[in-house]
Amino acid sequence: MLMIRHSIGSRLLCQTNRYTIEKKDHHWLISLPVDVEIASGILDFQDELNIFEVKENEKIWYYSSDAQINFQSKEKQLMILADHKTVYPTQ
Amino acid sequence: MIELYPAGKRYTVKNDWLESNLGFSFGEYYDPSNIQFGPLRVFNDDTVQPGKGFGIHPHREAEIVSIVLKGQLKHEDNLGNSGIISRGNIQRISAGTGVLHSEFNASNQEEVQFLQLWFLPNEKKLIPSYEDISYDIEHLHNHLLPVISRTSSDRVAKIHQDLTLYLSKLEDKKTLNFRQETGRKIYVFNIEGEISINKDSILKSRDAARITDTHEITIQGNKDSFFLLIDLPGGEF
Repeated sequence: MLMIRHSIGSRLLCQTNRYTIEKKDHHWLISLPVDVEIASGILDFQDELNIFEVKENEKIWYYSSDAQINFQSKEKQLMILADHKTVYPTQ
Repeated sequence: MIELYPAGKRYTVKNDWLESNLGFSFGEYYDPSNIQFGPLRVFNDDTVQPGKGFGIHPHREAEIVSIVLKGQLKHEDNLGNSGIISRGNIQRISAGTGVLHSEFNASNQEEVQFLQLWFLPNEKKLIPSYEDISYDIEHLHNHLLPVISRTSSDRVAKIHQDLTLYLSKLEDKKTLNFRQETGRKIYVFNIEGEISINKDSILKSRDAARITDTHEITIQGNKDSFFLLIDLPGGEF
């Protein structure tokens, strides 16, 4: 599951199981289909986004420090190029 | 100009373990007209029930100051820092490029009350760091005691922003004067008691004042009071 949250107070902006994360050199390209309204809500806070990938036994935090985020309105595809990845410590 | 923000007008988040009174937009509370005051972006007045708290969560690009008013707050982070702070302690986290941490009430009997302030840093992509200090409670009396500043010194935590945070306990009828350079801003939060600023602006417990274009103020204790004052930079953030 992928969650996109506002970094100030953790407001949930998007949650989906339909996403891909592709490693690209020192970055991670996160892609997900979203409708225009949700994309707009995310883009309003593009400098303040935390992205979480939650798996059965693992939680990973990503972000893009330079707000590299793009919405292709025709394809309704949101793409975030993250340059930071931290795996949560095992509880 | 002195703008008063009464305690009762703050947005409150309440559940079975937390009461959080929010001075600025935070989480589900979003008011475009109340995002920040200069670099002061978050001012949460939190009460956490015994043994409860905030599990592991991330922060980045924020200077986070926690001031415990009552009880004990336990902190742990992925930088290897851990500890318990109580009244008389102040914690500063420079989240910079990212830190994961947790905050819990260290007591199973007593609630913890603390203020948590987030400031925008004056530089991005800082290396994350942590500091906690103890201030001398006796030195608060009728005196503005600096506890956070951009320049660290004995019992003053360093912050990556051009600001100074003072604490003070002001006795009934006593006064204090504060003067800052023109072009800057002042934020005052009255923790306990009642104070007045320049005679007419009265702050009861948990009321705040955002002060602009007024660079010299006189604060009077109308009762025995405990308050904080932040000398903030001007300009856009």
